Amino acid sequence: MVLWAVRCSHPDYWGEILVQFELEGTEQYALESYQWLLERILMDMGISTMVEKAKFVIRPDQTLFIISMRIKQASGKRPVYDIADMESQEGGTFITIKDESYAPRLLATLWKLYGRERVQQLTRLEIFVEGVPSSELSEMKLDPEEEVRSQLLDAMWRLLPEGLKVRNEYYDDNVMTIVATEHGMTVDFMAEAQKVHRYMIGNEEEA
Amino acid sequence: MYEVLMFDGGVHKVEELLNLVEDVGGFVLQRTQVQVMITLTLAIPSEDRPLIERKAAELGGKIVEVPLAGTEIAVIGPTLGRHHMPHPICDIAEHLRRYGAITIVMGLARGRGRKTCQISASEKAIIEEYDAAIFMLGNFKECVTHEKIDLFKDIQIPVVTVIGPELESLPHCEALVCGVGRKVERMRRSEEIAKLEEIADRVKEVIDTRRQEIEEDPLFVHPSEVKDALDDMEAVQVCLRPAPVVLHVDGLRVKIPYKEHVKELEELEVYGHKLKDIATISDCRLGDSTIIKIRTKAEVEGKVR
Repeated sequence: MVLWAVRCSHPDYWGEILVQFELEGTEQYALESYQWLLERILMDMGISTMVEKAKFVIRPDQTLFIISMRIKQASGKRPVYDIADMESQEGGTFITIKDESYAPRLLATLWKLYGRERVQQLTRLEIFVEGVPSSELSEMKLDPEEEVRSQLLDAMWRLLPEGLKVRNEYYDDNVMTIVATEHGMTVDFMAEAQKVHRYMIGNEEEA
Repeated sequence: MYEVLMFDGGVHKVEELLNLVEDVGGFVLQRTQVQVMITLTLAIPSEDRPLIERKAAELGGKIVEVPLAGTEIAVIGPTLGRHHMPHPICDIAEHLRRYGAITIVMGLARGRGRKTCQISASEKAIIEEYDAAIFMLGNFKECVTHEKIDLFKDIQIPVVTVIGPELESLPHCEALVCGVGRKVERMRRSEEIAKLEEIADRVKEVIDTRRQEIEEDPLFVHPSEVKDALDDMEAVQVCLRPAPVVLHVDGLRVKIPYKEHVKELEELEVYGHKLKDIATISDCRLGDSTIIKIRTKAEVEGKVR
């Protein structure tokens, strides 16, 4: 088996693609074309600037496809008082959202924390949270990376070959790895994916 | 032998051209008029082409070569999922239409994957109703050379395979185009358009070969002559489907239900012969259409005698 690896980082002539790619596998064309595909998908989704590094391990003879991506540190969590006005009322807190782009994320976070029974969306930009003081809510911070992660997952699913249906995912704060195969997931495949995942987190010696 | 050409010009005095086509024994296969501009797809005897060209120039129009006119081609992908559609399958289909072909896009039910990819007998039968098939496969050499070739192994019509990795040759297909793998965007760069041209060239070659094979034992009538007769049928005239009669290299597809119109079709008269005597009429696999395969001169004359 010929192992072929390349480390490349190049600005694409279509725009600001500055993702660092690492490719490893048995077929040069497949690696290069999947790098190209990922670049186009990230650009199409508008998240190419959020990805720092991507690594592929593609071995068609073993039906193994591993993709791992590391996202850049986002600008930071945004406090709720920054995007909404809060008013303590009898039995809870009344929230008026100022920045509508954060509305879905705020609502989803409140549902996750307090349950759907206690969080009522009164109008498009008004939310009432039962039994929670405004002081508690104002300390809450919204994580913008959550959305990036979900977009990243979508990009990876778009990229993965359709026939490789048996998949395992590994994710960390900034790194997401998917190993995909066709028939049965072997221990070796999973071990290799974990190794790639650890490497992408930052333990460079793992590679 | 008939030659298929396209006239592109204005409607002014176009009747003169239509009369000339009729006089030389030709047919209008398709007529598309947009305000004062008109596009006519014509089938004319090859020897009368200079006459038609002269008339077209006189009318201020132009004659365009449509080498794939009179063919119906299937572009097939492993599935209809977003991994393979719309690019590059639709790009290829659209490009072939510029050369006059009628194209359809088809996705296999279980064509994705390496060892799990498969094609059913009914899918093969549907594909074989077309003049040629283009199989659009993926980026993995190992997968294409070892597994995917089984998808088109037993297909009885000419197959053009389009794949990503560079290969010298591939078994079971008449032509191979490399360098077009999975795409997530339209093929619009110059090198990609060159690849589309290459695919069209390969399809033209396989269609020409098929036409030459037919010429060795020519058809009793040209499909356009049968189309001319079919156009007079009421069922065809009231058919609202686009292009109710589609020409094939060796027959036609008529988009009227087989069961309801088979008797009428069998009795249709073409040059003093009933259609059932000069062609095989069968139901289409995709439903509500009829496939007509014209018999060769030898077959018909042998039977008449």
